[in-house]
Amino acid sequence: MSQQAMTHAEDYSAGLALGVDHRKIGMWLFIASEVMFFGGLIATYLHYKYTLGFPEASRLNIVAVGVNTTILLTSSLAVVMALSSIRAGRSGRMSVFLLLTILLGATFLTGQALEFSHLYGEGVTLTGSVFGSSFFTLTGFHGLHVLAGVVWAIVVLVRGLRRAFSAERNMGVEVFGLYWHFVDIVWIMLFTLIYLIP
Amino acid sequence: MTTYPATGTWRRYFSWNTDHKVIGIQYIVTSFVFFILAGMLAMLMRAELRAPGSDLLNAETYNQVMTNHGSLMIFLWILPVVAGFGNYLIPLMIGARDMAFPRLNALSYWLIPPAGLIMLASFFVGGAEAGWTAYVPLSIGGPPGQTLWAVSVMILGISAIMGAINFVTTVITMRAPGMTFGRLPLFVWGMMATSLLVLSATPVLTAGLVLVALDRVVGTQFFTVASGGDPILWQNLFWFYSHPAVYIMILPAMGIVSEIFPVFARKPIFGYRMIALSSMAIAVLGLTVWAHHMFASGMDPRLRVPYMVSSMVIAVPTGIKIFSWLATIWYGKLRLTTPMLFALGFISMFLIGGLTGIFLAAIPVDLHVTDTYFVVAHLHFVLFGGSVSAVYAGLYYWFPKITGRMYDEKTGRVHFVANFVGTNLAYLPMFAAGLMGMPRRVADYDPSFTSYNQMATLGGLILALSTLPFLYNAIVSWARGPKAAANPWSALTLEWQTSSPPPTENFAEIPVVTTDPYAYGEESSLTAEPAAAPAAG
Amino acid sequence: MKERTLFLSAIVAIVLVALGFLVASQANLMPPEASTRAVEVDQLFRVLLGVSTVIFFLVEGALVFAVLRFRKRAGDDRDGPPIHGNTSLEILWTLIPTAIVVVIGVYSFQVLMSIENPGRSPRIVEIIGRQFAWSFRYPDQDLATSELHLPVGQSVVFQITSEDVIHSFWVPAFRGKRDATPGQVSEMTITPREIGVFPIRCAELCGAGHSIMTSQVVVESQDAFDGWLAQQQALANDPGQLFLTMGCGGCHILAAAGSTGTVGPPLDGLAARAGGRAPSEDAAPYVEESILEPDSFVAPGFQPGLMPKNFGQRLTPEQLQALVAFLLAQP
Ligand code: HEA
Ligand code: HEA
Ligand code: HEC
Ligand code: CUA
Ligand SMILES: [Cu+2]
Repeated sequence: MSQQAMTHAEDYSAGLALGVDHRKIGMWLFIASEVMFFGGLIATYLHYKYTLGFPEASRLNIVAVGVNTTILLTSSLAVVMALSSIRAGRSGRMSVFLLLTILLGATFLTGQALEFSHLYGEGVTLTGSVFGSSFFTLTGFHGLHVLAGVVWAIVVLVRGLRRAFSAERNMGVEVFGLYWHFVDIVWIMLFTLIYLIP
Repeated sequence: MTTYPATGTWRRYFSWNTDHKVIGIQYIVTSFVFFILAGMLAMLMRAELRAPGSDLLNAETYNQVMTNHGSLMIFLWILPVVAGFGNYLIPLMIGARDMAFPRLNALSYWLIPPAGLIMLASFFVGGAEAGWTAYVPLSIGGPPGQTLWAVSVMILGISAIMGAINFVTTVITMRAPGMTFGRLPLFVWGMMATSLLVLSATPVLTAGLVLVALDRVVGTQFFTVASGGDPILWQNLFWFYSHPAVYIMILPAMGIVSEIFPVFARKPIFGYRMIALSSMAIAVLGLTVWAHHMFASGMDPRLRVPYMVSSMVIAVPTGIKIFSWLATIWYGKLRLTTPMLFALGFISMFLIGGLTGIFLAAIPVDLHVTDTYFVVAHLHFVLFGGSVSAVYAGLYYWFPKITGRMYDEKTGRVHFVANFVGTNLAYLPMFAAGLMGMPRRVADYDPSFTSYNQMATLGGLILALSTLPFLYNAIVSWARGPKAAANPWSALTLEWQTSSPPPTENFAEIPVVTTDPYAYGEESSLTAEPAAAPAAG
Repeated sequence: MKERTLFLSAIVAIVLVALGFLVASQANLMPPEASTRAVEVDQLFRVLLGVSTVIFFLVEGALVFAVLRFRKRAGDDRDGPPIHGNTSLEILWTLIPTAIVVVIGVYSFQVLMSIENPGRSPRIVEIIGRQFAWSFRYPDQDLATSELHLPVGQSVVFQITSEDVIHSFWVPAFRGKRDATPGQVSEMTITPREIGVFPIRCAELCGAGHSIMTSQVVVESQDAFDGWLAQQQALANDPGQLFLTMGCGGCHILAAAGSTGTVGPPLDGLAARAGGRAPSEDAAPYVEESILEPDSFVAPGFQPGLMPKNFGQRLTPEQLQALVAFLLAQP
């Protein structure tokens, strides 16, 4: 391959011509693989829902979980606001919205914990039936993802307070936001499939 | 941040190092160790199968040996060795200084040794004995080793996903100026297709393994038939990954030989675009065929036909590659070096494996030969005759680049001949045994199959012995072989345009690419100098 | 030049096709064709073998020819000609394999439809797989048996299931195979066409006893089959017969039942040693326990885990008592 020397090494990376940061591409690819992971669990849930009918599903409390869903959706809005704040250079405002995100995420997790313990009280357990196994595994793994997101949000918040981000440098916030929205969208899928569709 | 201990010390290979070349070598050497272990397990099986009756291993031990042989070969040999090539070569081939995420890269390597140890540890707690396919409910009831097996495969899957994210991101964002997608070396195309498959298929296996592990450890009911659990579900989850996995293992192999043919034929690759496209076609089609492993299972018989059709269609893009390679060497000036011999051996043996794949895809025939030695023969022709041949070809081809020294050509040829004879002797008789009625995964068999098995055992022994000249060659040449030039093969891809071995960060100055990577025989390209060390032909 | 190429190609094609035909018609790689299905499957197999032979020799031939003909000659250090591709060739080697694949696919589909067509009023036989034995039931006669007998020339639908893990019911001479999956019934259709005795094998890994999970199918004339059925019905509650239907005979030698299995210890003269076998247990309780919980005491020299553990559910208490008494009565 014929070639000529390049004098300014910093000009390299043809990929930059695409104008996409590698961290963002990496995050998108990670999300793609997560979609397939949840795809496997969702397929399992739907397969059993279809073959077994899942009579226990009538015990689910749609209203309470609906409220919880709204809380999680709001948290996505908070992340959007956090990102736009820092893009406008307003670091303090970003911290406020990140804090809001953390609180909303934690609320969602608390709600989920309450729901789980309620179901256990009614005798629906992880090991008691195929419904229990599928339901708790699927929503539990989503919960773990929210938990990871909350921890990540705390890290981003701390870094923000230490002035790690600015109007120009905010990829850390943006990549976190991608993840958080993804976790949110998965929940909308789960809410629809588990709670709404009979 | 990025740590580069002094180059030249062997210690860096045992430490957390983020240089993609160090990581590549770590991958390759580690997986080779697992290959030898898995090969020794194979020799145990062959010794047991030398004669009917279970004399050497009892049935339970045999099943553990068989399970670990298959699992190690696939999850700890072919998959990581291919990732090793990807790590070493992708940044060099696209003109980058390292991978996009060097620390993630080191992490994905360092997950592998513990995962391997976990898998091997299963032997000591009552091993995994449900085959590499771990069908439920057998694998749910099995001994504790089965849990270790599941955990190990899960970790290896996560490592593979991290690697794939890294490869794709690197290729998208770090290509040198002028390195357009139309100029990417075909090995890089192969790794792209493979990585996309890893990203879409591996997580599904991880999900399935989570269910199995939960059933075993926590007591969930996913696969408890009495509560309504469905054994076929696991087969779908498993094969949704494991069929694509076979293309994950062959696409980079095809990429390797696509690099080798033009160099030693001194001719441009024939049909660059179609070869690159066919890799993508195989990757996409590969996601749609998984149930061809389940034709005889309890799945709904009406669903089988589409899978038969999609499986057969894969013959078309695969054929395109094979015919393009033949056209590449046609009218060439072939230099029959060891890598070239292995690449030619790849075509002839993969062909047998691929054609018998068509027999398996034809449902009426599959219903006779599924779960017999016919399948065992098919899988070794594609995996050993195919993937392993290509890996050997690649190891010889890039040996001077990686080590800075030349291997010994004569010993290499001995290795090739023994490998070729051994492969055919070991695996051809298995086709006949399977057709005549010998099931797979048995420690004992009907005496009428004895002669096939004796041949297979002899072939297996030759294969094992053929490894010795390779090991000797690799170790002695790495230590004391003649120094290799930067570009001993007069090749045109970028990895040869830097010193052997390449310096930290690969290139003194980032190259600018102006032509395609296989422009042999053209005015503008380098004139072909005679190969430096080994006298070819 | 052009003419010569054409001529050569024609010769190569003729030789290849002749070779393919020869291999396909001469190769003898299959067990006897004991069912109508086998005949059709073998025909398909031969066609695939012929097509593959042609492709195989085409590719290998081209490869070997190229290696011999286009090897670098000593002293010739030039590169080869810069040929990057050839569109018509590339179209050709996309279209021809596509056509072959379509033909093979359609033909395979036809064979599939034909072999899985049960015909009118097939006989039903239920097949149950257990670790590590097969048992059979004739629902029309409400008869459970240890052996599979079939009348020649009559189409039969096997309804296959399992009581524990997945097994796979396979008669190589019939060419068909179907998994026995717990919790569901899968069907397979066969019409035997040859009188004889053919092996049955389990083809799905099912545990330590997978390789010994064998049996046989007896294909016989309608008269012989009817006689066998009548005899089986008469014997249904005889303990010696029970020993065979439950599959004990597959693993144990017992002269009175005429069985020859060697996976487990021979059971002749059991009375003499059963008493002192397990510490502080009399003969009858010991034998009963050996049947219900085989692993609680493992006969020396034999492997645990092989003998099925579900006889407690499969035998009625009366049958169990009869069986124990029968075993202890053997000299
Ligand atoms: C490298 C790995 C690899 C590759 C590349 C392949 C390639 C193929 N495989 Fe294979 N396969 C395995 C690894 C692989 N396989 C393994 C490991 C198993 C066993 C798993 C287990 O149970 O343990 C298996 C099992 C397996 C089965 C299940 C068998 C059973 O258990 O019942 C089937 C069924 O359809 C199948 C089909 C195919 C087909 C159609 C191809 C095709 O991709 C092949 C295409 C190639 C060619 C056809 C040759 C070249 C083409 C030409 C020269 C063009 C002209 C040709 C024609 C027109 C026909 N394979
Ligand atoms: C890449 C994948 C790969 C590779 C390379 C191999 C390599 C070999 N395989 Fe393997 N095999 C599988 C993948 C692979 N296999 C899979 C997926 C299965 C299915 C498992 C299942 O059913 O679950 C399988 C199953 C399988 C079976 C069937 C088991 C059964 O169904 O009961 C057999 C039987 O002969 C076998 C044999 C061999 C042999 C002899 C080799 C040889 O090529 C190995 C040669 C190499 C060495 C021996 C190591 C190096 C040698 C030395 C360092 C020399 C010194 C050592 C000695 C002389 C002992 N394999
Ligand atoms: C798949 C094989 C298999 C089948 C079927 C089987 N057995 Fe066994 N049996 C064994 C093995 C192996 C042993 C020795 C190991 C043990 O004691 O558990 C054994 C042991 C025994 C013993 C104890 C023998 C002694 O010498 O202590 C008795 C009694 C027995 N079996 C009776 C039966 C009866 C009755 C049946 C059928 C209802 C039966 N077996 C079916 C494999 C089998
Ligand atoms: Cu039953 Cu294998
Ligand atoms: Cu497959």
